Formats: sequence, C-alpha cells, structure tokens
Amino acid sequence: MEEANLSRSAMIAITVMRVIVGWHFLYEGIAKLTSSSWSAVGYMRVSRGPFAAFFKWIASQPQLLDNANMITMYGLTIVGVLLMLGLFTRLAAVGGIGFVLLFYLCNPPFVGYFYSIPTEGSYLIVNKNLVELCALAVILLTRSGLFAGLDRIVHGLLVRRFRRARLATA
Amino acid sequence: MAADDEKAHATPGEPRKIGRRDVLKGLSTVPALGLFAYAWEKQRGYQQARVEEVAAAAKAPADLQPINVALLGAGAQGQVLTDSMLRIPGLRFRAVCDIWTEYNQKRVVNSLKKFKYEVNGYEDYREMLDKEKELDAVLVATPDFWHAQHTIDCLKAGKHVYCEKEMSNTLEGARSMVAAQRETGKLLQIGHQRRSNPRYRHCYDKILQEAKMLGRIVTVYGQWNRGVTTDLGAPDRYVIPEARLTQYGFKDMHQFRNWRWYKGKGGGPIVDLGSHQIDIYSWFLGANPSHVMASGGNLYYDPKTHEWYDTVMAVYDYDTPLGPAKAYYSTQTTNGSQGYFENFMGDQGTLLISESEVNYAGQLYRDPNAPAWDEWIQKGYVSAPKEQEAKTKSDSGAIADVRESVAPDQHTVPVTLRDPYHQPHLQNFFDAVRGKAKLNCPAEEAYQTAVAVLKVNEAIEAKTQLAFKPDDFKI
Repeated sequence: MEEANLSRSAMIAITVMRVIVGWHFLYEGIAKLTSSSWSAVGYMRVSRGPFAAFFKWIASQPQLLDNANMITMYGLTIVGVLLMLGLFTRLAAVGGIGFVLLFYLCNPPFVGYFYSIPTEGSYLIVNKNLVELCALAVILLTRSGLFAGLDRIVHGLLVRRFRRARLATA
Repeated sequence: MAADDEKAHATPGEPRKIGRRDVLKGLSTVPALGLFAYAWEKQRGYQQARVEEVAAAAKAPADLQPINVALLGAGAQGQVLTDSMLRIPGLRFRAVCDIWTEYNQKRVVNSLKKFKYEVNGYEDYREMLDKEKELDAVLVATPDFWHAQHTIDCLKAGKHVYCEKEMSNTLEGARSMVAAQRETGKLLQIGHQRRSNPRYRHCYDKILQEAKMLGRIVTVYGQWNRGVTTDLGAPDRYVIPEARLTQYGFKDMHQFRNWRWYKGKGGGPIVDLGSHQIDIYSWFLGANPSHVMASGGNLYYDPKTHEWYDTVMAVYDYDTPLGPAKAYYSTQTTNGSQGYFENFMGDQGTLLISESEVNYAGQLYRDPNAPAWDEWIQKGYVSAPKEQEAKTKSDSGAIADVRESVAPDQHTVPVTLRDPYHQPHLQNFFDAVRGKAKLNCPAEEAYQTAVAVLKVNEAIEAKTQLAFKPDDFKI
C-alpha cells in the first residue's frame, strides 16, 4: 500500500479528520436535498470580490442556476459519502476542494470587505471554507483511504489483478 | 504499515493477497456512515416533532367547526398564506390548484402532506370546484387578472372566498366581484391584511377614533422602497408547455413568472405595494380621495419586459370629516433604503407606522403645543414619552440652528404582532365564516381602495390631476 510515509498515529488523526469533513459534506448535501426551497441564488447574488460578476451572472440564469443547485446538492452528498467511506478518496478530495474553493471565492473575507450576513465568527482572508479546503488538501496528499478506507480493499484488488495480468504476460 | 504490506506478500513479485487486516482497515470507517444515518434519523425525528408541534397548536378545540379550504394559486403569495393558515386552528386543507403543476402545485401539496393533510392537486380550478364538493372556502392567490373570474366562479359554487389584493386589475372586474358576492351572499374578504393587524387596529380604534391624539390630520406621506430585483425565471425542467401557458393567458414563461410587470396582467409596483398603504390612508382619514396627480415612469428596467412604471410618486387630495388633507405616496424599485411606512401628521401629533415589526413599528410624537397625553398613557394606549435631550449641537459638533423646532415627545404604540403578518386577517376571515366576526376588509371596502389605486396609473398617463366623483366609489 502506498499511503504517505507518516506515523500510525498521524494517519489515524488524518483519517478521523477525513471522516469528519465527509460528515460535514454529507449533511450539507442532504440538508439541501431534503429542503423544498434551497437554492444557491441568495449566496451568489451577494457575491463579492474578483469573481462576483461570474457568480451573479449564474444567479441570473435560471437554467445555469438550476444546474449549479443540482451539482451542489448531489455533489456535496456524493463527496461526503466517499470521504467517509474512504472510497476514491483522492477523487472525492479533489471534488471537495473544488466545491469549497467556489464557496470561498463567491464571498471571500478579503481585506476591507464587510458582510452584512451574520456569521458566527470573525474572518480575515482565512475562513472556515479555507480551513476545510486545507484539510481536504491534506487528505488528498496523504491518501488516507489507503490507510483506513475502502480504497485499501479496492486498491488491493486492482493491484492484485494488475500484477497477475503482468505475471501471465511475462 | 509497511510491515503489514510485507506480510501480505507471499513471495516478492507474487500478486499481493488482501489480508484480514486490510479488510478490517478497509471497512473501519464504514460504521461512521451508520452513525451518521442514526444522527440524521434523530434530526428528522426532531424536525417532524416541530411540524407536529405546529399542527398540534393549530388543532381545533372539540367545539370548533372545521372549515374545508382550498388554495387557488400556489405561488409565493399562496405559500405565505399557507404558512399562516397552518397556524390557525380548525382548518382542513383539501385541495391545491395551480397551473404550474411541475413546481408550485407539487411544492405546496408536498408541504401540506408533511402536516398530514390529504390534499388533491389540480391544474384547472373548475375541475377542483366540481370534484371537491365539501369545500367551505377558497383562498385565491392567482395573478391579478384572474382574480375576478376565479372569485366569481368560487362564490357561485357556494364557497366563501379570501382573495388577495389587488382585488382585480380592472374596475370592471372588481365591480363584478362585488356583484357576485351580493348575489350569492357568500363572504368575500380582500387581502389588505393591515386591516386586521392588531397594531393598525389599535391605532385606528384607540389613538385616532377614541383619543384623537393626532388632532386634525393635514398631511400624510408614505413609501415603499424596494431594491433592484432580477426577473424571475424557471429552469428548463420546470418550464410550462406553451399550450398550457396560452390556455391560461400567458404569452410565455417570462410573463407567467413576472406577470406583475405586464399591462393587462398586474398593475405594477403602485398596485402591488402601494395598494396596501393607500388603503390605510383612506381608512385612517375616514374618506376617499377627491383628486390625484401622479408622475411615474419606467426609469430603470427594460420596458419590453417591465411594461408598468418602476417608479411612481402620487399626491392625493382628501376632504376628510375634519377638513382637507393631502397625502403623498411614492414607490420605487431601485433602492430599498428606509423600506416602507406610513406617516400621519396631525396638528397635535404624528403617527409613524408600518406593517414591519422591525422598522417603524409604531412611533408617536406629541406636538409640544398639544394637550397632554397622560390619560392615554395611563390607559396604556401609548408608552410614556422618551426623554428628549435638548440638543444644541449635532453629534459632529455643528451648532444647531436657532430656528429648529422644539423636539416633540416620542412615544411608542405598545402593540406587537408575534404571528405572521397575514395570520390575523385570515383568522378574521375564518371567524366570519363561522359567524363569529365581521369581515375587516369586505369587497365593498376593497373596491374603494381599488378605485383610488388604479387611478394613479391613469393619472401618470394623463399627465394631469384627475378628479374622483363620489359615485366612483359606489357600486
């Protein structure tokens, strides 16, 4: 197996982090899926920063907005399940980073920005989206699914099949 | 970890076997998903308990006659009415009708089913009236140009009707609604919900009628400022087929979603927003207007898709029982600052009021020359005055001009509404259906407001002051 060359305790900690981040993604997705009225339109309409025009444009296009809503709802759910199970972990981490990056860029806490939306904390450049993005980067790079997750079994089966095929042709 | 891997290899170069340890580690985080499922189930149970709590609060006492209701028009306003009705005891939701079966109808039916109501969905209201024989009342929240026909057909089918304002986009339509109400003897309440708001009723009954705290009202001004909004749209999967749109009077999906801006469908912001407040002008002044002059235009939005005026300023003349008065009203849809309110200025006091519980929720100012309000404070009609600091300087240090008027005492109206804004008006309607109350805004009253409001658009086009004849308000 080819997980990062870290101590066992470090890998356990990263796996716990992966499960927790996955939990958060999964519930964010399910909560949106089960809400009759959720839409990203409000979040996009108040967009600030260098990509504000892009997000506001999406918010103004019903079809694009609908697609964005669907991708967000199902994407968060799928990423959450995969992270929790440790299945296709790297793919899930990349997907998660994509989502969180978009959330961050839509309303970034840059210097001089004062948001009227109430938040539970105070942020300057770094907010919880960025923290979660970094956590996903760690998960991506350390391949924690190979340490504890279904990736370990899937990877084992694939490698075994690959090696057998190679031996047969040798 | 590396040692584990080495053990799993039989010999170097041989395919590696998946060991017991790999399976255990591979499945080690699966229980977390089970834990999540457990927590989610608990959360859903909690949410369901909340729903049942609301339903239990609205559970009818044994002696309360249940009323079977249907919603005709399940858009945003229909949803607002539904949310309020869910809190009113003794109602049985039986049907929801909306031509947008793909979205609106499905959404409201599903939300009512969560509250354990067995509701049927309909596209055609005539089919609903045919099949739902047990209905007692219909709530009409369709676009304005449908109000007259929907209301009349429901009344003639023997149902009581609560119809959203504006009662119609034409006076002919409004008149025919009043005629149908008189002919059938059924109840027809129009949704000027401030008429049942306890704060407005307190102001009318106690402050204006009994205590006459404002003295003679000479001027009124009010506004509804709303920020820029983008057009409503619909994703492709929810688009209504063209044939159905045409059948129900819409040329396309944009017009269906944004009918308020189209001539022949709605009346624009002066009708959507101003109607509520101009209704209060006439109610509080105890008179209908005698003249109106107005200016308005489509200053901001694309006139191809926004046929009505996005900005309107109107001045009404009133001959009130106490003397002449002028009332200014403005609405604009390009800036939401300072929101909405009505300000009644008499020679003894001022009343600043709005439907909002957050802004302008009822402030009174006693003119320094007016008789003391001690009696009304003792009776609890208004709060004790706030102490006014004699300001000789502004906060920035600038010296106040000697011609500044003496600051009046500031009081508040000690009445708040804890329920959704539409609930008291709906409650009044259902109480009237049970024979326990009189309607606070019957069709004849709302007709007079429609006359006053629809004239504004005429005055803008005419670019001159228009007169109302007393007969204009009679049916």
